[in-house]
Amino acid sequence: MATEAVTQRTPAGGRAARLDAFLLGRWPLGRLVGWVAAIRAPVHAKLLVAFLLIALLIIAVGVTSLQMLAAMGRHSRSLDEAHERVHWSQQIEHALALQMHFTTLALVVKDEAAIARILRENNRFNDTLARIEGAAPPDERTLIQQIRSAQEDAMGVVADIANLIREGKVADAMEALTTREDPLYRKIDGLVRQVVALEQARMDGLRAGVAAANRRSLLLMGGFAALAIVLALLFGFVISWSFIIAVQEAHGFLGQVAAGNFGVTVRVANRDEFGELAENMNRMSRELQRLDANQRRGAAELQSLNEQLAQASRAKSEFLASMSHELRTPLNAILGFTELMLDNLYGEVPQALRDPLVDVQTNARHLLRLINDVLDLSKIEAGRMELAPAEYAPADVVETVRASLRSLAAEKGLEFVVSVPPDLPAAYGDGKRITQCLLNLAGNAIKFTSRGRIEIAAELAGETLRYRVTDTGIGIPKDQLENVFAEFRQADATVTREYGGTGLGLSITKKFVELHGGRIWAESEPGRGSTFFFEVPLRVSESRAG
Amino acid sequence: MSKTILYVEDNEFNRKIVRQLLAATTYRLLEAIDGEAGVATALEAGPDLILMDIQLPRLSGLDAAERLRQDPRTAHVPIIVVTSFALSGDDRKAMEAGASAYLAKPYSPRQLLELIRKLAPEE
Repeated sequence: MATEAVTQRTPAGGRAARLDAFLLGRWPLGRLVGWVAAIRAPVHAKLLVAFLLIALLIIAVGVTSLQMLAAMGRHSRSLDEAHERVHWSQQIEHALALQMHFTTLALVVKDEAAIARILRENNRFNDTLARIEGAAPPDERTLIQQIRSAQEDAMGVVADIANLIREGKVADAMEALTTREDPLYRKIDGLVRQVVALEQARMDGLRAGVAAANRRSLLLMGGFAALAIVLALLFGFVISWSFIIAVQEAHGFLGQVAAGNFGVTVRVANRDEFGELAENMNRMSRELQRLDANQRRGAAELQSLNEQLAQASRAKSEFLASMSHELRTPLNAILGFTELMLDNLYGEVPQALRDPLVDVQTNARHLLRLINDVLDLSKIEAGRMELAPAEYAPADVVETVRASLRSLAAEKGLEFVVSVPPDLPAAYGDGKRITQCLLNLAGNAIKFTSRGRIEIAAELAGETLRYRVTDTGIGIPKDQLENVFAEFRQADATVTREYGGTGLGLSITKKFVELHGGRIWAESEPGRGSTFFFEVPLRVSESRAG
Repeated sequence: MSKTILYVEDNEFNRKIVRQLLAATTYRLLEAIDGEAGVATALEAGPDLILMDIQLPRLSGLDAAERLRQDPRTAHVPIIVVTSFALSGDDRKAMEAGASAYLAKPYSPRQLLELIRKLAPEE
């Protein structure tokens, strides 16, 4: 698991990562890391313990080195003492020589001062000897006692010699010096030399011992320091990897989740905060998987619903196509036969029959308009109404409407005028539908006006083409101005009965205007007339084209 | 010699209207009641003009028109497709199928006669 995580790392940390992987692969290290991770303790406690262990190591190294320093001090002191004793024993030797010298001198100068010097040197000798004896080992002490007894003998001889000199017996003094004093001094000298040699040997031995002890201490110290460093590194490695492995696992896990691989789980040995984190991440993963599954199910359901809807929509438009055909075919026959009759194809039609035939024709045409409106509205609502935009002249639209309705207006005795500026440019849109819209508005105007005038106008306002139909008809109450564009709504239900109409014309007109990206509205004063406006862009955008 | 017009239409009353309309002219009328029969009659008789309803049993008017356009025997014959304008685009589809003109139902017999005379003048 560690090697997998390592391969995901950046090349910059590559060498270090390979080293880590190598170390983790060693049997005890990897197991130790796992063991530390599995300790059921919070991360900060683990870190605290690791740091404490390292601090203890440092303290131990410090204590050891202090002890070493103390030992080296002790060695140094004993070396100093040994050195001093060697010095003392050399002083004894020196004092002995001076003593002999002053004894000889006393024989020559024969005065008290010389004798006193002998005694002084003797005292110095004894003092020094006592000092050595105080710190001397047993074997040396025997030697010193021999020296002391010989020295006491020698002092006895010196006293004798001093007396002989005072008495003027120089020859006897000389005799005593050579026969008694000299052998004694030689004996003492030999003994003192032995002491010096012993002390020297002791010092040399001590020096060698100190050197060896120092070497040992240094080795021990170095070894201990090295051990401390290795242990500190080990603690650091184990504690950090016990966390890093968990982090790497989490990293790989999150990478998988981010890639949309929900439901994967992360397993870490940690029983600390990282362990809890991993558990939470697994919960998250399961939850994500569940939500993802839900979402997929939902999407699939939506998809199938969508397909059903699309199928329903196809079925609806097929139904519309077939309905349109089925309704128009008999209407075609009705209108066709009526026209043939009125055209006297079957012989001259008597006047009494001509009127009802015209009624048949009028009603059949009305039925056709109803069918057309209903089908148009159905198509619009099914979202299947598409514009067929092309270049058209707004003036032609107005003229077509005028030509279609002129006779109707004339029948009702209405003034029927159009107003189109001569410089109106060509427009781009579905001219047929725009004509249908204006025809609806103008037809309504004639229907609801019994006297006065109807005006149809087209004008340009910037990039917007505005069509307007003004009448002097019954008008629409303010609170119903909005409703007139709703389906099957005329200002009043009684209006439908009185004036006829499908109640679909305005609603279809509104939808066509909106398909062009335009808007429609009306202004009215009941009893005085209404003005209907609709605006469309001079050039409808291509995206609105079917 | 009088010109021959083939009317493919499944509704008897509509066929009757055209039959009676053309009775007063010099045109000779052939009738077929579905797309397959229409194509067969056209290939066999070689009419001067074909009047084709868009919605027919067995073979749709558009498919029949297309088939006639591809056959060298009828490729040059003008075809008037009678549409129902159920969905905008019927006219475009009719022209794509090779129609010379299209007429929306319900049509005025008078206008139909004008169109026939334009595409296949009476002699």
